[in-house]
Amino acid sequence: MEVKLQVENEILDKIKHTFHSAEVSIPRKQRVEVKLRNDLIHPFLAYLKDTLGFKHLSHISTVDWLEEKEIELVYIVMNYDNLVEVIAKIRLDREKPEIPTLREFWPQVETYEREIHEMYGVNFLGHGNLTDFILEDWEGIPPMRRDFDTVKYAKETYFNRPGREDAQDVRTTITKKSGEEIPELAKVYSVRHLE
Amino acid sequence: MREKETTIYLGPQHPGITGNMMVKLKVTGDTIVRAETHVGYLHRAFEKLMEARTWLQCFPIVCRICVPEPDPNEENLSRVIEEIEGREVPERAKYIRVLVLELSRLATYLLWMGGQSGSMGLYTMPQWTVGDRDYILDLFEQLTGGRVYHMYIWPGGVRRDLPEGFGDKVLKVMDYLEKRLKDYDDLLFNNALFYKRAKGVGVIDKNKAQEWGVVGAPLRGCGIKHDVRIDEPYEVYDKLNFIVPTYEGGDVWARAMVRRQEFEQSISIVRQVIENMPGGDFYNKIPNPLNWRVPPGDAYVKTESARGEFGYYAVSDGSLKPRRVHARGPAYVHGVSLLERILQGANIADVSFIMNSLGTCPPEIER
Repeated sequence: MEVKLQVENEILDKIKHTFHSAEVSIPRKQRVEVKLRNDLIHPFLAYLKDTLGFKHLSHISTVDWLEEKEIELVYIVMNYDNLVEVIAKIRLDREKPEIPTLREFWPQVETYEREIHEMYGVNFLGHGNLTDFILEDWEGIPPMRRDFDTVKYAKETYFNRPGREDAQDVRTTITKKSGEEIPELAKVYSVRHLE
Repeated sequence: MREKETTIYLGPQHPGITGNMMVKLKVTGDTIVRAETHVGYLHRAFEKLMEARTWLQCFPIVCRICVPEPDPNEENLSRVIEEIEGREVPERAKYIRVLVLELSRLATYLLWMGGQSGSMGLYTMPQWTVGDRDYILDLFEQLTGGRVYHMYIWPGGVRRDLPEGFGDKVLKVMDYLEKRLKDYDDLLFNNALFYKRAKGVGVIDKNKAQEWGVVGAPLRGCGIKHDVRIDEPYEVYDKLNFIVPTYEGGDVWARAMVRRQEFEQSISIVRQVIENMPGGDFYNKIPNPLNWRVPPGDAYVKTESARGEFGYYAVSDGSLKPRRVHARGPAYVHGVSLLERILQGANIADVSFIMNSLGTCPPEIER
């Protein structure tokens, strides 16, 4: 096992040597996971890209940790030479998530940041083009946050319009027509149950 | 006389656009000065929906993320769950998964051949390839019960075993497709018109390709040999023999030729899978799916889809439902930042031609 993870361990050592505060681990072959302080993400990705040759940005993902009042940004970058992927994670304050943009690193970052701004409300300082990407003219809390109530939104927006009084619950309609009961098992996931 | 700059909106409904999206073009004469992608017409909030459903209920959702190619989504989500959970998959299930993935790749390439030649006005190809794709869909129907969306691969293996005599049927279709490939060569790939039309169009700079996030056939069309099946073998790809073709040039023609060679390779992989299919179990049963908790953790897995690296990043918090599932499709980069870049200086008539060759798929951008 030790021999197999040689490349991963080399990368781990280099990262640890340069960024002392980073928590580095190897979850499996071809993966290195790094937990960073927020202000270090810029120098860290610059170091990975320019010095260690991690040229390919696989994607940027976001996880909302509502209970911990934090928003996690996950950067996944890959090196085409040794085929290792580094998963870099930072955690921002959920009340006021702000971080300088990474636009100058990879051109596709612009799209990712626009989407994360729209869906999670993270402000990327210096981005310059944080306009609507998928949504149009959205107000209120960003929709991908955990405290956004989809059922409430759907009811207000779609269900109670005139002409849709049956609230579009197919199960209820079928039950009325056929006289059969909805099984207990299915009720758990029924829209009616969520009311 | 100075030429005036005009704005043209291509899409969201347009026969040349591969799905519902809009490209806003600033043109002078026939030449594009600036292109801007507008998406949002197909947003169904899949990632949000998944957070409100149990892990197993996510499967009918993920296959809708890409219409022409749903199987990499199912396979990715299964594998990411298996990786978080540490669940073993039987060898036979892995072989069946590769069979499904490769058949799906062939079906996608057939659809792409139709789209690529349709966008240059060669309408015989779509008639042929869409018809031939139906033979593969027939196979899927027998195997999974669905033609386009299968929901067949799930955590722990696959849903059903191969039907009796299925291997022979697959081999028959493979023989047929191999024979048909000669016709496709005559009509499209060896066609001088196609060469003239596609050579030098939509060029991706080789030195910038990796940095721009180009993956899949467009990357191999730049002469860079990179394929997830080789770089990070998943399922049983490390036990199969196949080559990764590359072409120089980075233009539409190079990408087309890469895909044409891969079509042949896929046929060979399917044959190898049928030949080496082991016996035994096809499913490592999960506990009661309504009360199935995946242990806390996160993982990133990826697949080589017909259009490039397809990845899933999933986070579990130990509850019945996923905390987060993020689908990374190749079109997210190809269809927005890359397309905007390489459309600069192109001809208006080449927009859908280039879009097709990049494998743009709007539902995957919006998810």
